[in-house]
Amino acid sequence: MSEAVWSVVEFFNYLVLGYFVVLHAIYLGTSLFAFGALKRYALRLKSLDLGDLITSASAPPITLLAPAYNEEATVVESVRSLLTLEYPEYEILVVNDGSKDETLARLRQAFNLQEAHRVPTADLPSAEIRGVYRSRRHPHLWVIDKENGGKADALNAGLNHCQTPTFCAMDADSLVEPEALIRIVRPFMEDASTIAAGGVLRIANGCVVSQGRVVDVRMPKNFIAQLQVLEYLRAFLCGRMGWDALDSTLVISGAFGIFKRSVVVEAGGYSTDTVGEDMELVVRLHRYCRERDIPYRIHFVPDPVAWTECPESIRVLGRQRERWQRGLYQSLMRHRVMLFNKKYGRAGLIAYPYFFFLEMLGPLIELLGYLSFTVTVLAGRADWPFVVAFLSVAVILGGALSLSAVALEELSFRRYPRISDLVRLFVLALAENFGYRQLNAWWRLQGTVAAIRGKEGWGKMTRKGFATAQTPEAT
Amino acid sequence: MFFTDLVRALELTVADTALLVISGVIIALFGVTVVFSAYAVVLRYRHAQRDRLWAELRNRWEKPLLDAIADPESIPALQRLVEEKHQLYFVNYILEFSRRMRGEERAVLRTLVAPFLDEIGRRASHPNSQVRTRAMQTLGTLGLPAYEREVLAGLEDPSPLVSFVAARYLARAEFPQYGRAVLDSISRFDGANFRFLASMLASIGPTISPELRARLADPDRPDWERAVIAEALMMQREPRSGDVAADVLVQTRDRELSIRLLRLLGTVGRREHLEAIRARSTTDDVFVRAQALSAMGRLGDERDLPVLIAGMDDESPWVALHAARGIREAGGRGVLFELAQTELAYASLAGQVLYEEVEP
Repeated sequence: MSEAVWSVVEFFNYLVLGYFVVLHAIYLGTSLFAFGALKRYALRLKSLDLGDLITSASAPPITLLAPAYNEEATVVESVRSLLTLEYPEYEILVVNDGSKDETLARLRQAFNLQEAHRVPTADLPSAEIRGVYRSRRHPHLWVIDKENGGKADALNAGLNHCQTPTFCAMDADSLVEPEALIRIVRPFMEDASTIAAGGVLRIANGCVVSQGRVVDVRMPKNFIAQLQVLEYLRAFLCGRMGWDALDSTLVISGAFGIFKRSVVVEAGGYSTDTVGEDMELVVRLHRYCRERDIPYRIHFVPDPVAWTECPESIRVLGRQRERWQRGLYQSLMRHRVMLFNKKYGRAGLIAYPYFFFLEMLGPLIELLGYLSFTVTVLAGRADWPFVVAFLSVAVILGGALSLSAVALEELSFRRYPRISDLVRLFVLALAENFGYRQLNAWWRLQGTVAAIRGKEGWGKMTRKGFATAQTPEAT
Repeated sequence: MFFTDLVRALELTVADTALLVISGVIIALFGVTVVFSAYAVVLRYRHAQRDRLWAELRNRWEKPLLDAIADPESIPALQRLVEEKHQLYFVNYILEFSRRMRGEERAVLRTLVAPFLDEIGRRASHPNSQVRTRAMQTLGTLGLPAYEREVLAGLEDPSPLVSFVAARYLARAEFPQYGRAVLDSISRFDGANFRFLASMLASIGPTISPELRARLADPDRPDWERAVIAEALMMQREPRSGDVAADVLVQTRDRELSIRLLRLLGTVGRREHLEAIRARSTTDDVFVRAQALSAMGRLGDERDLPVLIAGMDDESPWVALHAARGIREAGGRGVLFELAQTELAYASLAGQVLYEEVEP
């Protein structure tokens, strides 16, 4: 290669090094914001009496929308967890999105469903409704059976049948903690301009579940799942908490978020032509409210928890990450008018550019960086200070971020009580940078490419079901 | 300057300089890593220590506490068990316990904790607003009326959270003397949720109702405040507020206030208020129209059925739903049953509303 080409490669190497430094500095910056916010939140939480809130007449009625597609392994346990929620007034609407397995049959059998009337209160586009059922045993449990149309379509069908001022979007395969609703609804009670709030997702693999509740929190045995525990801690406690402290929340997980129904319906409901309907909705809500001068707040609340089963095989995990990245790309490109646009406040000036340049384009830069670094080293053109610097940013700083997440978990919620769990999290924080992180970047790059090519669909997800405790009912 | 001099002295190239800068940042971030790791370990150690201490203290206090609740004569014995260094732990323990107690039992807890509250009283003026908030909660639960000066001062606190928590604990039926002060502070909470504020005012109890009615009638008060008051009166099911609500409904054009007044009238109104309600049943605003039809259903009779039946055909599904429920409230179950048998577009709605009454 000519010297000119090497100059370009060298320049690119430094560019990648700079990218890594900026990326991690931002991550650690949001972690520091999250640190302050979590400390304040923990103190604030002490001044609130949840029991008092639960019994007060002020808690808004909520409809839980739980779309289910081929969830026969987990749906009954998940619905049981929803039935045990401690909240004064709520309905559960499970939307069976044309499942090909026994999802509906299991629900009918477990909850004694019978056909019922329920007239729509909105007309968001959704696939045809085949039937509406209500449980004889639990009158606040409804099941809407519809033709398959995807998760967003199922959520729209649920929204069309929602009769409460707020709704909670969730996955039918997640387990919501009993106090989670009263915790997540708190911003709505304290601030009338709140239109959405997101809670925390944690990994249920390895945990012991009884009667729809996680009764013993344990680290998963599966290594892939263990890595995801760390990822989720990082994403929620460092990332989302930090963005919330900056009042720039752009993502509320589709597995557990609460919204003001009227605003979502007026904004057009869930978008059915993206696989990232959760992020797309939140970004659209920012636009909708900003463009109409509607005062609004979107919050992240760190203590309401929903437990979810994560993939344990590389193949399924890869598909999930590829899909998440496609969703990110679709959401960001659809609302690119927000990029550096002060009309959209901090969401447009800070959060959107971060997601656009670092999350969306990041994998490409990162992988090209690894490639050019390897070429440079193999050609003997790299000097050792550069090699040390590159490896430091690629490994140590990644570990720094994960360790900060572990520290934040210790500061706030301490869900993993065993010392061995803490040690394992420390080890994972460093181990994930050798292979797993690069693999993740590869999947995300595939996702970006697939989105550019216009790929649609979710890909197949397989569920194992929760590890159920040996209770009389379970046995 | 130092950095420029260093670059010159070492005769560094641009690439070397970039590397130097990046290395500096890496070292700094690496330092952060070490700090985070150490912090996590220290936290785990401290939490474990605190948990052990808590378990030990709970164990020490639990039985004597249950004895003291059963027999207040044994209160001094428990108080003597509390070492000076554990007084704040004891207050927190009693605060946690008090959430499960009401009436006389909570009064016993107040007596029990009284000698240890001076430190909490001092914390009510702590520079950190989170500490003040916690102090308001403790004093509001366990320190009234002895520490009323501190909690009432909390209503004027610069931090909205402190004043909010103070208001919540002062707004209790067992302390009606603070109701007026809470009501006066309501303007501080204009961003809060309507139902939350209304619930707080309603919890003061019936002694505040005359003042609520007077403020609802006062046109000089902000509409949002009157809307909160109307909602509070509805939660109290205050029977004498119907006349005021009907008068205000005739005068106001504010959307939120109209909705809350209609809800109030639907709960405590009488037939003579129907005219004011009917006038709103054709308004353009969907939610006002829906509440008007709902109130008509509750107060009206067969003569209102034609309007309510027409309401079932409203373009808004919300108005249609409220109209259908209104028909049921107005004693029109037979009408709904007939409608449910037809091929009309709203036959299914009639079926649904009838079905809502049936417990499966």
